[in-house]
Amino acid sequence: MQKIEDHSGTKYYLITLKVNGDSYTRAVKANTLLVNVLREDLDLTGTKKGCELGDCGSCTVLLDGKPVNSCLILALEADGHEITTIEGLAQNDKPDKLQEAFVENAAIQCGYCTPGMIMSAKALLTRNPHPTEGEVREAIAGNLCRCTGYVNIVKAIMSAAEEQQ
Amino acid sequence: MGDNYEVIGKSVPRIDGVAKATGRAKYTGDLKFPNMLVGKILHSPHAHARILNIDTSEAEKLPGVKAVITHRDVPSTKYGLSPARWDETIFCIDKVRFVGDKVAAVAAVDEETAYKALKLIKVDYEVLPAVFDPYEALKEGAPQIFEEYPGNVNTEIHQHFGDVDKAFEEAYHVRRDFFSGQRTYHSPLEPHASIAFWEGDKVTIYCSTQSVHYLQYHLARVFGMPMGNIRVLKTHVGGGFGGKIDPTGLDFSAVKLSQITGRPVKMLFDRKEMFYNNRGRHAQYMELTTGVTKEGKILGVHANFVMDGGAYTGLGVASAYYAGALLTVLYDFDNYKFDMVRAVTNLPGCGAQRGHGQPQPRFAFESHLDHIAEDLGIDPLEIRIINARKPKTVTINDFRVDSYALKEALEKAREISGWRDKKGKLPPGRGIGVGNGGFVSGAGYPCYRTDLPQAVAIIKVHDDGSMATLYTGAVEIGQGSDTVLLQMAAEAMGYPLEKMRIVASDTDLATHDFGAYASRQTLMSGWAVKKAGEEIKDKILKTAAEMMLVVPEQLDVKQGIVFLKAHPEESLTFEEVARTYFVKYGQLIGQGSYKPPKLGGTFKGAAVGTSPAYSAATQVAEVEIDEETGEIKVIEAWDVHDCGMVINPALLHAQVHGAFYMGMGESIWEEVLFDENGDVANGNLAEYRMPTALDMPPVTSELVDSIDPNAPWGVKEVGEGATTPTMACLANAIYDAMGVRIESLPLTYEKVWRALKEKREKEKEKA
Amino acid sequence: MYLPDFEYYAPATLSEACDLLEKLGPEAKVFAGGTDVLSKMKQELLFPKAIVSLKNLGGLSEIRLGNNNDVIIGAKATHNNLIDSPVLQEKYPSLCNAARQMANNQVRNIGTVGGNIVNAVPSADLPPLLIALGAKIKLVGATGERVLPLEDFFTGPNKSVIEQDEILTEFIIEEQPFTGSTYIKFALRRSGALAVASVAAAVAMEGNVCRKARIVLGAVAPTPLRAKKAEEMLTGKEITDELLEEAGSAASKESKPISDIRGSEEYRRDLVRVLTGRALRKAINEGHV
Repeated sequence: MQKIEDHSGTKYYLITLKVNGDSYTRAVKANTLLVNVLREDLDLTGTKKGCELGDCGSCTVLLDGKPVNSCLILALEADGHEITTIEGLAQNDKPDKLQEAFVENAAIQCGYCTPGMIMSAKALLTRNPHPTEGEVREAIAGNLCRCTGYVNIVKAIMSAAEEQQ
Repeated sequence: MGDNYEVIGKSVPRIDGVAKATGRAKYTGDLKFPNMLVGKILHSPHAHARILNIDTSEAEKLPGVKAVITHRDVPSTKYGLSPARWDETIFCIDKVRFVGDKVAAVAAVDEETAYKALKLIKVDYEVLPAVFDPYEALKEGAPQIFEEYPGNVNTEIHQHFGDVDKAFEEAYHVRRDFFSGQRTYHSPLEPHASIAFWEGDKVTIYCSTQSVHYLQYHLARVFGMPMGNIRVLKTHVGGGFGGKIDPTGLDFSAVKLSQITGRPVKMLFDRKEMFYNNRGRHAQYMELTTGVTKEGKILGVHANFVMDGGAYTGLGVASAYYAGALLTVLYDFDNYKFDMVRAVTNLPGCGAQRGHGQPQPRFAFESHLDHIAEDLGIDPLEIRIINARKPKTVTINDFRVDSYALKEALEKAREISGWRDKKGKLPPGRGIGVGNGGFVSGAGYPCYRTDLPQAVAIIKVHDDGSMATLYTGAVEIGQGSDTVLLQMAAEAMGYPLEKMRIVASDTDLATHDFGAYASRQTLMSGWAVKKAGEEIKDKILKTAAEMMLVVPEQLDVKQGIVFLKAHPEESLTFEEVARTYFVKYGQLIGQGSYKPPKLGGTFKGAAVGTSPAYSAATQVAEVEIDEETGEIKVIEAWDVHDCGMVINPALLHAQVHGAFYMGMGESIWEEVLFDENGDVANGNLAEYRMPTALDMPPVTSELVDSIDPNAPWGVKEVGEGATTPTMACLANAIYDAMGVRIESLPLTYEKVWRALKEKREKEKEKA
Repeated sequence: MYLPDFEYYAPATLSEACDLLEKLGPEAKVFAGGTDVLSKMKQELLFPKAIVSLKNLGGLSEIRLGNNNDVIIGAKATHNNLIDSPVLQEKYPSLCNAARQMANNQVRNIGTVGGNIVNAVPSADLPPLLIALGAKIKLVGATGERVLPLEDFFTGPNKSVIEQDEILTEFIIEEQPFTGSTYIKFALRRSGALAVASVAAAVAMEGNVCRKARIVLGAVAPTPLRAKKAEEMLTGKEITDELLEEAGSAASKESKPISDIRGSEEYRRDLVRVLTGRALRKAINEGHV
């Protein structure tokens, strides 16, 4: 990681993130969080900030395929890693099956938890294509939703899993 | 229901679903404007202190800081959502009244600089004694928080209808119980956000709000500007639940900071600041006395309540009235007395949260009613059926209730939950409980005194008829109003939903509406939309009649086809008729406006609780208790709702799921706690425990047929009413399981554990 | 929220890291997953001037069988690495289950075992069971390394015997006489909640006779706490319901809980009694679960 200093002595690091298949190189300070690089530098605002402490899951992205809270990851620590955000799921603007299942099952209300919720569900279905309802609930237990009571969210994930079959 | 309709009554997917599922949906905090600054508010570290001096010079010197403002830079006009008590200023002037009170604000080039600048503002305080408990606050000699509220009494209510004392004398049984409800917070997932920028003497504010109108009104009032010079609009809103109806410090600060710097200013609350801003549910202390006949018929009720308002009033006076007003709706009785004192304390100000003021009184009353049923040896569900209000009646406090199917809801809930097989027959540790609730379908009167209509809608059909746009001031905050209102517009016009667009909640481009609160939009905004759609339909039929050489009465229009009722094969498309109209008469526009008739009585506070229509709901839930630890597991829940005609069943049932979820969280897990200095002790989502997917049981949501004559197509509310039965339903289920009554919310594991322990000790003593 | 400024170092070797820590002094903080460090910094509970990231240090996240069937867990293994580890699933599935109870899936993907220990939070989920299983830890410092029982590591809330220049590198669980072990957590929500009280138990059973028992309590003392009197009561005894109840009561007496926003002292004490009985029963009857 290359380190640069500006005139005032503030240090910047050159990092490269592979986000949704594309490489981005940016100069960031040590205290820059991954969520802020995604939202502010790359304009990928589908990743939300809800609690900023890893309690709500709104900022969930996949880091090398694993769901993580991007609010608790230094951008420097993500250097060289592959990141998938909610914007990376749709192909040529066609929503992913899981995204469609959320829409069709009325699993979305305010929508603020939705991107993070879908990323957690995506990671689950990739790893475990035919989860039980309990496994679905466990996988999204780190994603709080204030609107839906999770009823239709669980239904949507289960239906997307069935469709994969 | 819905069989005779083309567009309403159908579970179409919400129109913003794909945008939200793909991450394209932009919320206020996602927006970026060129040259934008970031603002932050400095909050008081003391619960009660006099401000001696504020020195902003060091903060101003920090590179990247563009403006620092305090009370000296802004109007001192007092505000509050309800004009009943205007007692808040943009920034504190002489003293701070709770930890988190607003002292100053900064705008800087980025968030980090803004935070650093806050630390450089020096405020000298003289710390004053503080009071955090309403009973303490009401005692003689307690610290006085506001000059205008001697004895810290913010609101005092004494209402008496009929003769309660006489009713108690005549009663076979009179019972008194005491309950309490805790402070909770809405905790929408999206933190509040506001962005302001000026062009000349006009300011635009993007805001995560439940009402663009009220924000526009209050900004205009406080800054002394014409409302027309203030444009308030919103993008997607990540949940509100009552927490985004009041104007916040973000809105006022962003406007001022943007004016000073000439640059757009974005301001956000972090999670803890949301708890400071609060406006969540009041803590309430509720004594209930009820007299009944031997058969369980309620003769009279006395509700004697105390409420902790926190520091500023906002909508709190209405909360206080609501707490008592709606107790009269569910069950029919002729004698009622309501006494309430709302005290101010040195804690964050409370306000309206889903079910506004009445979920806790419902918890109290429904728990109380179970006790009465037990005293009389009547099944708890049966005593509710005995007392359930009938349609076309008027409550003792003058609310006219036209449609009301509570009895049917109770009967259906009894069926689908298997009540008869379960009540008293479940294995040890398991229990089943029932609770009733309901709500207004829109408050009869706006938050401030005005003769404005409740809602206005305009529909504009595109020149060639290929598309139509609905303009409404109704606010989509996740509940689905954009989708539902479009369904209503399409139905009224006879037009396909797929061709409709919406421009909503923008004070410049859309129309007037008071916004998303008091469960008002489906009924009230819906009325305006229906009328606008019907005006379009009239114009289309008249024009088509001219084209087809018939009279309009011979025609109808559905799904974009205008046809002769007698010979449906003879038809024109909506598009060609609309285009003809455009050529002949100009733009095809329909407009609708809705204002309810005069509602309610004439006594003091008679307006609160009035509504064109009332929903009703029964919930039944089953719980399992760990008798050694007190741990509560909610096994399953059933909700049966009388919510009138349903426009979108899928969205409606989703509202019920969410309402039960929130009610369940408040019942068992959620409570805003404070440390000894009055600072929020759990202002995060780890310790303010909203239930996770693992905590949520299966919920069955069902309906009973009901059509309200005062509503468009007979609709009523659902989103708030469905939160109101939950707390008692779970408390009653715990009682059924273990024979212990938890009288204070939340019904924590520890409280259940303690009650069980005390019960065992008592039994031992007896033996 | 924001993170205050700090210097960032990502040394390439362990010895470089230890030297750096020694040089930087007490204001430097070792950074593995960072979930705890960053959330504390955001809440202004921690103000490190420098962060020494372990991200470039290879080989510290392996979970493997060592000599004599020892289980070696690299300190950088995440909680989910534990859950997914075939070695642990085979030898100590109880550890997988304990790891599963920490926070939520996202945090388990980042939060490391080492971090869970070094933070020395009294309610942490892994220490009680690791202590019950007699785990040892290896601390590597600028001038050498030492191995000590995890039990001797904690000295108080957020306090331990680790020296400024030391880095926790691995856990060693030697082949145990225990026939069963488990961890029971009592929290106020099914996910994402800290323990109000927790109990880990490990037992070596011969028929119905308990040859050896370890009981470790979490969240009810300044550090994870061995309930030694309760352990002694069980040693060499035939297990009966009464004995388990007595052990629970003894453990309850040994606990030193405080009252806080999650529960009162009295409640916690009683939870210890109940959970101890349950944990023992589970370890006795179900093996390493």
